[in-house]
Amino acid sequence: MAEGAGGSAPAVRVQGLWKRFGEQVAVAGIDLELPAGRFIGLVGPNGAGKTTTLSMVTGLLRPDQGGVEVVGHDVWRDPAAVKARIGILPEGLRLFERLSGRELLAYTGRLRGLPGAEVDKRTTQLLDVLDLAGAQHKLVVDYSTGMRKKIGLAAALLHNPEVLFLDEPFEGVDPVSAQTIRGVLERYTASGATVVFSSHVMELVESLCDWVAVMVAGRIRAHGPLAEVRGDAPSLQQAFLELVGAQGRDRGSDLDWLGGGAMR
Amino acid sequence: MSTSTSGVSSEASITPVVVRLKLSLLRNGLRQSAGRRAAYITSVVVVLLFAALQLLGLIALRGNAHAASVTVLLIAVMALGWAVMPLFFPSGDETLDPTRLVMLPLRPDPLVRALLVASLVGIGPLFTLCLLVGSVISVAHGTAAYVTGVVAVPLALLVCVALARAVAAANIRLLSSRKGRDLAVLSGLVIAIGAQLVNFGAQRLGSAGGLSRLDPAADVLRWVPPGSAIGAVDSMSRGSYGVGVAQLVLSVAALVGLLALWSRHLTQLMTSPDGSTLQAGESAARERIPTGGLRRLLPSGRTGTVMERSLRYVWRDPKTKAAWVTSLAIGLIVPVFNALQGTGSIYFACFAAGMLGIQMYNQFGQDTSAFWMVAMTIASPHDAYVELRGRALALLVITLPYATLVTVLTTAMLDDWSKLPEVLGLSFALLGAMLATGAWSSARFPYSIPQEGYKNVAPGQAGLAWIAIFGGMVSAALLTAPVIALTIWLNVTADGDRWSWLLLPLGAGYGALITAFGLRMAAPRTARRLPEILAAVSKG
Repeated sequence: MAEGAGGSAPAVRVQGLWKRFGEQVAVAGIDLELPAGRFIGLVGPNGAGKTTTLSMVTGLLRPDQGGVEVVGHDVWRDPAAVKARIGILPEGLRLFERLSGRELLAYTGRLRGLPGAEVDKRTTQLLDVLDLAGAQHKLVVDYSTGMRKKIGLAAALLHNPEVLFLDEPFEGVDPVSAQTIRGVLERYTASGATVVFSSHVMELVESLCDWVAVMVAGRIRAHGPLAEVRGDAPSLQQAFLELVGAQGRDRGSDLDWLGGGAMR
Repeated sequence: MSTSTSGVSSEASITPVVVRLKLSLLRNGLRQSAGRRAAYITSVVVVLLFAALQLLGLIALRGNAHAASVTVLLIAVMALGWAVMPLFFPSGDETLDPTRLVMLPLRPDPLVRALLVASLVGIGPLFTLCLLVGSVISVAHGTAAYVTGVVAVPLALLVCVALARAVAAANIRLLSSRKGRDLAVLSGLVIAIGAQLVNFGAQRLGSAGGLSRLDPAADVLRWVPPGSAIGAVDSMSRGSYGVGVAQLVLSVAALVGLLALWSRHLTQLMTSPDGSTLQAGESAARERIPTGGLRRLLPSGRTGTVMERSLRYVWRDPKTKAAWVTSLAIGLIVPVFNALQGTGSIYFACFAAGMLGIQMYNQFGQDTSAFWMVAMTIASPHDAYVELRGRALALLVITLPYATLVTVLTTAMLDDWSKLPEVLGLSFALLGAMLATGAWSSARFPYSIPQEGYKNVAPGQAGLAWIAIFGGMVSAALLTAPVIALTIWLNVTADGDRWSWLLLPLGAGYGALITAFGLRMAAPRTARRLPEILAAVSKG
């Protein structure tokens, strides 16, 4: 299952990962292997620990316990090898918002050590494909949510990473931008790269991913190829609700005054 | 104002609701944190003390020939404060933002009345009330004057409050946009400079002429509402009843005008698209961002990239800009003003280097949580070293010429050219020490700088900020000690002056060395602590 991709090394290997914030346990011992070359969805309700997990996997947050390897390199012992091979789009962290979109990409690419001419070439192409060419000289602080996600994605893709981590990439994004992002991601995985993204929108995960991990309350509840996790349920949404244990809550009768017709 | 009969019933219901809403907002805001409660209570106590003192002062002024001039001027300044406050502190009062009430079925007239009454609740109105009562006591003589005073006090208070509301409503689109928030960040600066000017003015006033110098200004201001309300009390005291009535009518007219203006903007705001809809279309076209050029002058590779971003942020990021302008201004004002007043020493010129060196502190806090973009590209102590060195170099691009300029300027004003080399050397050594300790404390004591509002430290990190800055400054002074000692020694030795020029190359060399050493010390620490730094700068 986890080694399903023809026995090749996993893209990400997580062992015994823990994180506490004060009293609250955000991540309670995760063991997980994400296969390479797949479109992987990390799903779970709000507060399940998805963002914390992704932050620890990408080296932005130090775990209390446990280890993470990305494409065979330890995130904490060999950061140089890992950072060069991954791209991330975090949620809730700022970009350098007082740069224009183009300046932001130029800055990121050069910090990553790419030659200037190459950065400029890739920047132009990415801005075109992501439909940001018209706003390239606008400050990022004035971007809409969708544009922000797109410029973040461009910054994450600029150095052609092997594994891309996206935290809620479609949250608050309009359908047109979402379709653009989707197109770019599908093209990217088709070439053999790995995408790991977190979301709580099951329809989206179901239509995009071929491998999912379900996270609830800091633990992995189920993982594997999409069909396997879905099982007999009619949709991933149903399977997820069963896993989370949120079935059969019918409180409709409490709101008997609510409905068309009578005012007040 | 004049109540229409149809509005009476809804007015009766909405005004207490809005007042209660305001009180709840105030209470809940205070409930949020003990620090906020303490700050609020402290400010209430300070304001009340200040108001009481002012009241006593005004009562003491009673009978003084210039009492009317002083009160009218005070009220004009007060009204100015009311007019600019909403521009600088737009988030202070949520009931100020009528767009929050836009989905409720309310008519403008009752709403304006309700909001007007609600805005009388607070420290500001209380302070204003004390000032107005004091002014009336200070100028009123005779029954007619006191009767006028009873009308004038609430009238002037309402004019002040309506003025604030009208200004806020007229500018709400600006205030809720990014540019407005940027403006709010710069407010601290305007207030600091304003205080400086007031201070200067007060000194001038004390030195020559006294209060009589106020009279020409007061002659005009006694006709300008809300000062004209108090002017009316004064006129009544003098027996010029006609003038008094005219002044009172002027204030009433101003109130009516302001309320009408406010009401019109309110209606407009509630029936038109809000800022976020319009903004998307306009700002792209209007804002011109100067690009290119800069890169060609900077070194290639990470160094130039980092420098370019740092320099852009000095100009574009309001927080960074405010910090820089403050440093540049104080670094210039202290030595030059002291030299102007003849109390200066040429060594004050080192102030410029010291003030600008502070900008090296909390480098990563200036990045906010965008620091993750930097963290993702730092994989070794060497990366961290180049990053920090780039930031230090960007700082030097501005600081070196500026410190030199201030030193030369101070020297010229004091006409003490023989001391120029040693003061320059001392400046450079101090700058080097500040850069070194700044780099180290950026790695060791990072803290976040909230992007909104005028605070420079996130709640809970104030202690950290003090440790970083003051610990750093003390260490910087200690690190400069060898150069300071050498300067003193050369000054007290009989033959020292002949060798004092040596301090320029020595100080500059020492500064460069110690900067390099500080960066080398800070780099491995930065590389090791990336997640901790990110967590520290992401608060707030």
